[in-house]
Amino acid sequence: MSNRRAVIVSGARTPFLKAFTDFTKLDTIGLGTAAVRGLMKKLNLGHGDIDAMVWGGVILPGTAPNVAREIALDLKLDPRCEGMTVTRACASGLQAITLAAAAIERGEYDVAIAGGSDSTSNAEIKLPQKVVHAVAPLALGGKASPADVLGVISQLAPFTDILPTRPKIAERSTGEVMGEAAEKMARRNEIPRAAQDEFAVRSHQRAAAAIAAGRFEEEIVPVQTPEGKWVHADGLVRADTSVERLARLRPVFAKDGTLTAGNSSALTDGAGAVLLMEESKAKALGYKPLAAFKSWSYVGVDPADQLLMGPALAMPKALERAGLDLAQIDLVDMHEAFAAQVLSILKMLASDGFARARLGRERAVGDIDPAKLNVHGGSLALGHPFGATGARMVTTMANELARTGKERALLGICAAGGLGAAAVLERV
Amino acid sequence: MSDMLLEIGKNPQARKLLKTLGLPLPIPEALRREKGAIRARPLQDRKVIVAGKGELVGVVAETLAAAGADPYVDESIRAAFVAPGETFGRPPRAIEAEGRVDAIVFDGSAIASAKDLHALYESLHPLVSRLSRSGRVVVLGRPAAGLVPEAAAAQNALDGFVRSVAKEIGKGGSTANLLIVEKGGEKRVAAVLRFALSAKSAFVTGQPIHITARAKGGDEPALVRGLEKKVALVTGVARGIGAATAKALADEGAHVICLDRPADDTATTQLAREIGGTPLLVDLAEADAVAKIIDAVKARGGVDVIVHNAGITRDKTLARMKPEQWDSVLDVNLGAVARVTDALLPHLRDGGRIICLSSVAGLAGNMGQTAYAASKAGIVGFVRAWAERLAARGVTVNAIAPGFIETRLTAAIPFAIREVARRLAALGQGGLPEDVANAITFVATPGAQGLTGQTLRVCGGALVGA
Repeated sequence: MSNRRAVIVSGARTPFLKAFTDFTKLDTIGLGTAAVRGLMKKLNLGHGDIDAMVWGGVILPGTAPNVAREIALDLKLDPRCEGMTVTRACASGLQAITLAAAAIERGEYDVAIAGGSDSTSNAEIKLPQKVVHAVAPLALGGKASPADVLGVISQLAPFTDILPTRPKIAERSTGEVMGEAAEKMARRNEIPRAAQDEFAVRSHQRAAAAIAAGRFEEEIVPVQTPEGKWVHADGLVRADTSVERLARLRPVFAKDGTLTAGNSSALTDGAGAVLLMEESKAKALGYKPLAAFKSWSYVGVDPADQLLMGPALAMPKALERAGLDLAQIDLVDMHEAFAAQVLSILKMLASDGFARARLGRERAVGDIDPAKLNVHGGSLALGHPFGATGARMVTTMANELARTGKERALLGICAAGGLGAAAVLERV
Repeated sequence: MSDMLLEIGKNPQARKLLKTLGLPLPIPEALRREKGAIRARPLQDRKVIVAGKGELVGVVAETLAAAGADPYVDESIRAAFVAPGETFGRPPRAIEAEGRVDAIVFDGSAIASAKDLHALYESLHPLVSRLSRSGRVVVLGRPAAGLVPEAAAAQNALDGFVRSVAKEIGKGGSTANLLIVEKGGEKRVAAVLRFALSAKSAFVTGQPIHITARAKGGDEPALVRGLEKKVALVTGVARGIGAATAKALADEGAHVICLDRPADDTATTQLAREIGGTPLLVDLAEADAVAKIIDAVKARGGVDVIVHNAGITRDKTLARMKPEQWDSVLDVNLGAVARVTDALLPHLRDGGRIICLSSVAGLAGNMGQTAYAASKAGIVGFVRAWAERLAARGVTVNAIAPGFIETRLTAAIPFAIREVARRLAALGQGGLPEDVANAITFVATPGAQGLTGQTLRVCGGALVGA
C-alpha cells in the first residue's frame, strides 16, 4: 500500500467567464458536469471506469450541496462511482485533488476525478435568519390564527433588516470584505498601485499570449449553454490592456486605496477537473501520466491580521516537506486573488525577518524569479471561479512540466478564513 | 452604585449641555475596555508614535510590530523599525503634523542630564493634545540606583513627569505610565509594554513599573493563553474583584480553584461551574482552612498562581476599635495570607506567581482604617520579602493595590464621600472589578516575569497615596 503513487493523468476545464454573462443559467453542478464530461470524452473514459468523484466548491447549492455526487448522477456514470464534496474556500479545488491523491495512495480508489466549480452567478440570495426564525412556526406548525400572523409581523419590525441580503464574500469573523483585507495588505506591505497594475497587465499579457499560441486548447473544453450557445474561450482576458489604462481605474475598496477592478480578480463562473490514477493502473491502461504530488500543505493564519498571507507560510512548508529549496523549483504558480496579495506574499518570502519570526528558519525562502511565476497568467486575467482555480492551476502546471521537461512546480493559493494552501508537483 | 456623571457623560447632548451650563464638574470619559482573553495583537491598527533615542528602541520596535501597532517614528530611529515592519507588515511611517494618535512611547533610557530632559518636552509637547480618548503614554527609563548623581536625577525626573502627565490627560480617559527597565530586563519588556498600551490597563495610570531580571525564568513567554494547563487559587471569589479575577484567569486558560466562605456556597459554586473551575468552601479564619486548601491543591497536582484576594474591613477610629475587630482584620488580611503562603510553598510550582491584594488606603492611610491600612501596608513588605526569597525558583511575588473600585463595598460609602473618592482620581471615575482583575491576570502571566516584589496600583491616578 505504501508504494502506491497517485499520478495526474490529465485535466480539463470549462472556459472561465465573467459572472452574469453566458454561464448565468448554468449552476455549479452544470458547470462541473460540463468539465467532467469534457475530460472523460478527451480521455475516452467509460462510465464504469471511475471509482469516485471528489469535488470542491465555495458557493454550494443549498438543496444539493454534494455537488460531486450530482455531477456523477447527471452524467449517468455507473452508480458505484461515489462522490464527496469538500469546501476550503478558494483552496477547495486543490483540496479535492489532494484528497483524491491521498485516497488513491491509501488504496481507496484506483481512478478518481477531482476538481471544483463555482457559479458566482448563482449565489443564493439568503433570507435573514430573523425571518426564518419568525416564520418557521407558521410554516411548519400547523394552523395559524390571525393573531399568530400578527405576532410574526411584529417580530419582524423594523422591516429594514429583513430584506434579503446581497451575497458578498465577507469574513464571518471580522465582517471584512476580501478586497478590504487585500487593501490593508497593500498598505501594510507597501505595495504601490503602479506595481499592482504592472503585475495585472503582465498576467493579462501572458494569458493572452498563451491563448494566441493555443496553449490552453488541450485544457479547455467547449461548453454548450442551456440556451444552446457554444462557448469556446475564456471571457476575461484582455490582450489590449496596459498600465496606462489600468491607472485610470478608480479604487473600489477604499477612497484613497490602490485596489481597482483592474488589479483584483473578478467574480467568475467556471469549473475544472483533473483525472488521477494509481500509477501502475495508469500505465496498465496505457496512459502517459503528466505529474505527481511531491508534497502539499494547508495552513491557517489569523484572518484579522493579514487575511491572504497564507501561501507565505504554506509554500515554505510544502517545500520543506518535499525536501526542496526554492532554487530547485522550475515553475511557480500562485493564485492571483489580488495583485497586492501576490506581491505581499513575494515580499514575505524574500524577507529574512519574516523567515525568522514566522517560519522558524534563519534565511528567507528567497526571491521568486518573475520569469518562473505564473508563466501563462493567473486569476487576474483568467478569472477565479473559486472551487475551479485549484484544478486549473494543477492542470496547467502538470501540462507545463510534461511539455517543457522541467522537473518541479510550486503552487500557492490564498483562501478566505485566513487559510493558505500549497503543493509541489513533480514531472512523472 | 452606578456613576451618574459617567452615564450622563456618555450622552453627547447631555455632555454639551453640562458644558454650556458651566458647571464646575469635570465629566469623566468612559474608558475603552476590552472583554475576554489577552489578544495576540492587542494594539491592532493603533497609531503609535515612538520618540526618544534610547537603548530600548529595538525592543519597542519589535514589540509594537508584533502587537499589530502602526508605528510613526522620527527619522533618527527609523532604522530600528524597518526589519520588524517588514516581518509583520507594519512599516514605520513619518510622524504626521496633525491628527489623532492612539499612543505615544518615549524611550528615555539614555537621558542622563537635566539638559537631556529637554527631549522629553520637545517630543511630547506637540503630541499630548493629539491623544485620542483612552490614549496611552508610556515612558521607558532606567533605574536611578547606581547612576552618577546627574543621571540619577534625570532618570528620577521621568517619574514625576509621568505622574503629572497622567493627571493632565486623565480627563480624556488616557493613561501615562513609566517602565523602569533594569539592565538584563530588556527581554522582558514586551509583555509589559503590550499591557501598558492596551485596553487591559484602563485604570492603571501614573505608575512606575520596574522590569527586572531578578526572578529566574525564560525570556520568550507565551503572550496569549499564558495560563494554559496551569492551576490558580483565588480566595474571596464569590463577588467583586475575586469573581472578576477568577474569570479573567480562566480566560487565559487556567484551572481556577475558587475559594470562599461556606456561607457563599451558591455564588462560589456557580462561578466555579461557569469557568470550569473547582469550588472550595473554606473559612480562612478557621483552624482547618490551610489543611483543606492543601488537599484541594494536591488534588490538582500543585498550584501555579495564588491570588490572595479575600479581605475584610471593620472600620472604626482607633479610639473606638474593639480588640476583636482589630484582630480579625489583621488575621484575615495578613495572618491568613502568610499562613496559606507558607503552607502552599511546597506545592507551588517553579515559575509560579503569588499575588496579594493591597489597597491604596493601605499606602496612603485613611480615617477609621488603622487596622485595614496596617494589614494592607503589611502586604507591601510581605511581597518584597518573599520576592527576594523565591526569585531563584522563578516565582514572582507582587501586590495589586486597587483605588476606588465600584463594588458592593464602595457602594455602601456615603454619597458625598463616594463622589469625592471618584472624582479625585486622574481619570475622574471609579474603576471596575475587571480593571483590577486584568492587572492581576497580567501579573499572573508568564510575560510578567520581570515584575517582582512590587506593588502595582490600579487606582485611576488617585490623588492620595504614593
